[in-house]
Amino acid sequence: MNASDKAPRAEQSASAEYTGATVLHQPNRLAGRGMVDRTQPLSFRFDRKRYSGFAGDTLASALLAAGVQLVGRSFKYHRPRGILTAGSEEPNALVELRSGARQEPNTRATVVELFEGLEARSQNRWPSLALDAGSINSLFAPLLVAGFYYKTFKWPAAFWEKLYEPAIRRAAGLGRASRSGDPDTYEKTRAFCDLLVIGAGPAGLAAALVAGRAGARVILCDEDFVLGGRLNLDRQEIDGMSGRAWAQHVEAELSVLPQVRILRRTTVFGAYDNGMSGARTLGAVERVSDHLPQPPNGQPRQRLWRIVTKEVVLATGAIERPIVFGGNDRPGVMLASAVRTYINRFGVTPAQRMALFTTSDDGWKTAFDLVNAGVTLEAIIDPRPQIAPALASRAARLPTHALLGAHVVEARGAHGLHEISVQPASGSMLRFTVGALAVSGGWNPNLGLSTHLGGRPRWSDRLSAFVPRDMPRGMTAVGAAAGSLSLGEALQEGSRAGAMAAEAAGFSVSGLNPWRTDDEMTGVTPLWDVRKSRGKAFVDFQHDVTAADIALAAREGFQSVELLKRYTTLGMATDQGKTSNVNGYAIMAALTRRTIPEVGTTVARPPCSPVALGAFAGLHRGKHFKPTRLTAGHAWAQERGATFVEAGLWLRAQWFSSPTDASWLETVSREVSAVRSAVGVCDVSTLGKIDIQGPDAGAFLDRVYINQFSTLPLGKVRYGLMLREDGFVMDDGTSARFAQSRYLMSTTTANAAKVMQHLEHARQVTWPQLDVQIVSVTEQWSQYSIAGPRSRRLLQRLLGSAIDLSNEAFPYLACAEFNWDGVPVRLFRISFSGELAYELAVPARYGDSAIRAIMSAGQELGVAPYGTEALGVMRIEKGHVAGNELNGTTTAGDLGFGRMMSKQKDFIGRVLAGRAGLVDPQRPVLVGVKPLNAAARLDAGAHFLTPGDPATLENSQGYLTSVAFSPTLGHWIGLGFLRNGSKRRGERIRIHDPLRGGDFIAEIVSNIFVDPDGERLKQ
Amino acid sequence: MTPSSRGLMPRSAFPQLQSAHLESRGVHLSARESLGIATVMAKQGQAEALRESVRKQFGIELPSGPLRAHRAGVSFVGTGPDTWLATCEPGSNRFAGPLAEMIGEVAAVTDQGDAYAVLRLRGPRACEALQKLVPIDLHQRSFRQGHAACTVAAEISVIFWRLENDDAGSSVFELAIPRSFADSVWHALMAGMPGG
Repeated sequence: MNASDKAPRAEQSASAEYTGATVLHQPNRLAGRGMVDRTQPLSFRFDRKRYSGFAGDTLASALLAAGVQLVGRSFKYHRPRGILTAGSEEPNALVELRSGARQEPNTRATVVELFEGLEARSQNRWPSLALDAGSINSLFAPLLVAGFYYKTFKWPAAFWEKLYEPAIRRAAGLGRASRSGDPDTYEKTRAFCDLLVIGAGPAGLAAALVAGRAGARVILCDEDFVLGGRLNLDRQEIDGMSGRAWAQHVEAELSVLPQVRILRRTTVFGAYDNGMSGARTLGAVERVSDHLPQPPNGQPRQRLWRIVTKEVVLATGAIERPIVFGGNDRPGVMLASAVRTYINRFGVTPAQRMALFTTSDDGWKTAFDLVNAGVTLEAIIDPRPQIAPALASRAARLPTHALLGAHVVEARGAHGLHEISVQPASGSMLRFTVGALAVSGGWNPNLGLSTHLGGRPRWSDRLSAFVPRDMPRGMTAVGAAAGSLSLGEALQEGSRAGAMAAEAAGFSVSGLNPWRTDDEMTGVTPLWDVRKSRGKAFVDFQHDVTAADIALAAREGFQSVELLKRYTTLGMATDQGKTSNVNGYAIMAALTRRTIPEVGTTVARPPCSPVALGAFAGLHRGKHFKPTRLTAGHAWAQERGATFVEAGLWLRAQWFSSPTDASWLETVSREVSAVRSAVGVCDVSTLGKIDIQGPDAGAFLDRVYINQFSTLPLGKVRYGLMLREDGFVMDDGTSARFAQSRYLMSTTTANAAKVMQHLEHARQVTWPQLDVQIVSVTEQWSQYSIAGPRSRRLLQRLLGSAIDLSNEAFPYLACAEFNWDGVPVRLFRISFSGELAYELAVPARYGDSAIRAIMSAGQELGVAPYGTEALGVMRIEKGHVAGNELNGTTTAGDLGFGRMMSKQKDFIGRVLAGRAGLVDPQRPVLVGVKPLNAAARLDAGAHFLTPGDPATLENSQGYLTSVAFSPTLGHWIGLGFLRNGSKRRGERIRIHDPLRGGDFIAEIVSNIFVDPDGERLKQ
Repeated sequence: MTPSSRGLMPRSAFPQLQSAHLESRGVHLSARESLGIATVMAKQGQAEALRESVRKQFGIELPSGPLRAHRAGVSFVGTGPDTWLATCEPGSNRFAGPLAEMIGEVAAVTDQGDAYAVLRLRGPRACEALQKLVPIDLHQRSFRQGHAACTVAAEISVIFWRLENDDAGSSVFELAIPRSFADSVWHALMAGMPGG
């Protein structure tokens, strides 16, 4: 490709976007090079236009092969951007991938594996990539400097949320996410090992091989789909074989070692806390199906790994630094190592005519490889006045201009690089017409993971880079990640770290393999900022931070790295400044006449590469966000068409609609009437049940309840109330006594776990001297409340001769254990509804069978199943307290149980319940209310006011906690807490609901609306 | 006043099991419907007496810590200080009563035969399937035959233990799940089943 035909091409591609044109030609594909499979051509679309590539390509390599350099627009200035790197550090080539519900923004074209039918679109442009209206921002560039938004959009304040922010977000966003639900699944798993090796370059492969051969459990992760790291881009030999062949050789051996697991396409994104046993936990995400058009059946899209390991070898390599000069963001300006990757791994050259701008010896390798690949190399520009003699003598044989002591001061071109201006060591400016420029400013160890637990990197003058320091215990950096840039050092350090990890895990290592490699030159003299450069010189490509922005920050006093970062947003993009931070700090150092260590560095936090939120959620989506608990009668209730309500994790039947019911209120009223007039059945299995045994069981209950239980006769049940230590009510329920030293406690559904913890604490910590054993049996028993005047007849039909249910033999508050149909069951004569009622408990495996048997036994008696709503209506009619009243702010006295508090004994909460504020006679206490207008509907939460008082908070006399429409009485009723309420029966009170607008007069009545003397219970 | 004509029939906590064809995925699942389960807690100062009683009655040395000891169909799994989960095959909900009588006054025995739904997982990929649920290292080297754990699986408290490998040399685990959570654990287990 010739740069001179660049502009017409770009226009052509703009129109092609609307015609769906096809480009199957790959003008920049090099014959006979690379690891792509040329027998497997793949077609794909970019901005609707069709292209072709090969299996083994990334989207970036395939676009470059097709001659596409312009792939996106920048975040702030909408500048044309291309492909800078060949890895996950890519700041520019962010594209929207796929379409429909799978549309994913901001994917890095450099790591997207090509597949047949791949669809990608450029981002942040309108109407098209080539003709982007937003690029007008570039004209205002002098305004859009660091701090622009803070300084400009501060007045009027109200405009920020309504106008400025939405408009800025529209203009400056990146890609768009799909608005549909994610059709894919994600899963989470865990792995445990002796050694986690992060990175499968030469150092990582060596570490894994040595430890794996010794027998250690090893996990080797690499984010790439091919192992080998730099061995795939450099033409270097190990033991006389090509680096790539060596990597394949090692991979083959590793894959047959049973204790070694290789995870390809897996990014270790975070180091987390250390375990007690000295093991560390790291997070990794495996892109299981991202390289496929869609996940195959049964496969997740991605898998989140929690890896717990004794040792970590950080073999994450290094990231090449760009050089900051004018126009360094033009598409076609690329990192030298990336150019080498495209040439040697993918068989693609970014352009046919190129130049190299390098401050490092390593950059020169790209020159040799370009020439070797037959690409025209116009010039090598190296700002260093001298280079190593060996390098110089090799360079002398290259057919190019080698300009030492020279600088590239500007790169130009409309949509891609067209020409560079070079200031030589002496003489006038030179111009070269090139389609691409390879840039190398030295290497930064990829050390993000070493800082996640607080490690601060150290500046190395020799490398002109930060290297890991204060590593977390058990983590070792090797090879380029440690700043050891030569292949020989990488292999040596890797195998040494592998051996140490294996030995630490108890395996012996016999002799290390001395792999032989050629010597390498790794010299570098950094050039932080080309001072004479013309045009915008970018430091952070993804956030459009320029050298001028850093100078502005320095002038305005934001000189600390932390302030620099926040003021300019340097390094705050999704790439976390992998290609920009060090350049930015160095420029700040020079401007403020400090050294780079004096300026310092920010530290990275996890994740060090963006991770899809879906991967963190895993299976826990929608209703599976939390587990669900189902009672044994659930399937039956479902068959009966129950509507379910969530009660904590439980699903409970709320009501059982019949086709003739006009509304849920009608359903509930029908269920209540059935119980009050005939018999109803309700699943109460969700209530907490605790088996309490031991010689001190009675004494224990006396201490946790406010009332006495040691005096409870055998075969009897008693209502009990327990307080928290602070004297407020914790929970209520009943306890039954089945034997001298055996009780069964029941708790509310909501507080089951809390009460169990409370009892465990009392047993283990408060009174370890008491001989009492407690076990939760909530799950063991399926329990049904059978309530209503015909409940005895129903149970007699059901249980037959298994038990005598006459009022004499089994009176109110009796309990019994007996066998029914060969099954051990329990029966309690207790009532929440106020009717003659029983609770029958069967082992949970029989819960389904039992409810069917109950319904069939009650068929002729008119039995109706009822749900939690009818249960609630009946308990309000009876004035029983429930969750709304046991709300953590009420005392036993507030609930009307003041006299139940035993004075004969001590119990949890007794002392603090005696505090002045808790025994104040003015405290709001439980009352019933009924509206004077029988048609009025009450709402819980409404406030009580003395009629005539203004509706202010100071005048509030209390509030309504529970309301229901009572089908028994034919109007709404309510329970609430009213100041001095016990003495105000018969008074009128104003019920005021500023939230929903209710405001009417009600009468204060007893909290027991139905059967106040409890006669029905004892029939 | 005639008793219900239909007798009580047990219902499996895993009704989905019959239609789940998992053999091709390397995991064989079975529900341990007839396993009797009971919690055994030593009374105060009676731990040694309980050990002696269990030794005498069952020939089993009660394990200290998260371990499982078994003999002739009866096993004891350590689940806490002086606390064990005893299992018996077959036992259903008729195990706890006789167990309490055999052990005598030295321990509190509570029937849990219906409280836990127990799944047995075996096969070449059983370990992989279970590893997606539990945060414990299941490798043969660290979670050996006879090891047990009280832990969480998919945010649910579970108890599980490793049995001896099957004839094909594959791992065998038993996972005790609070019965009301059986459906949720089943969902998590199926969602994480190795691809097949």
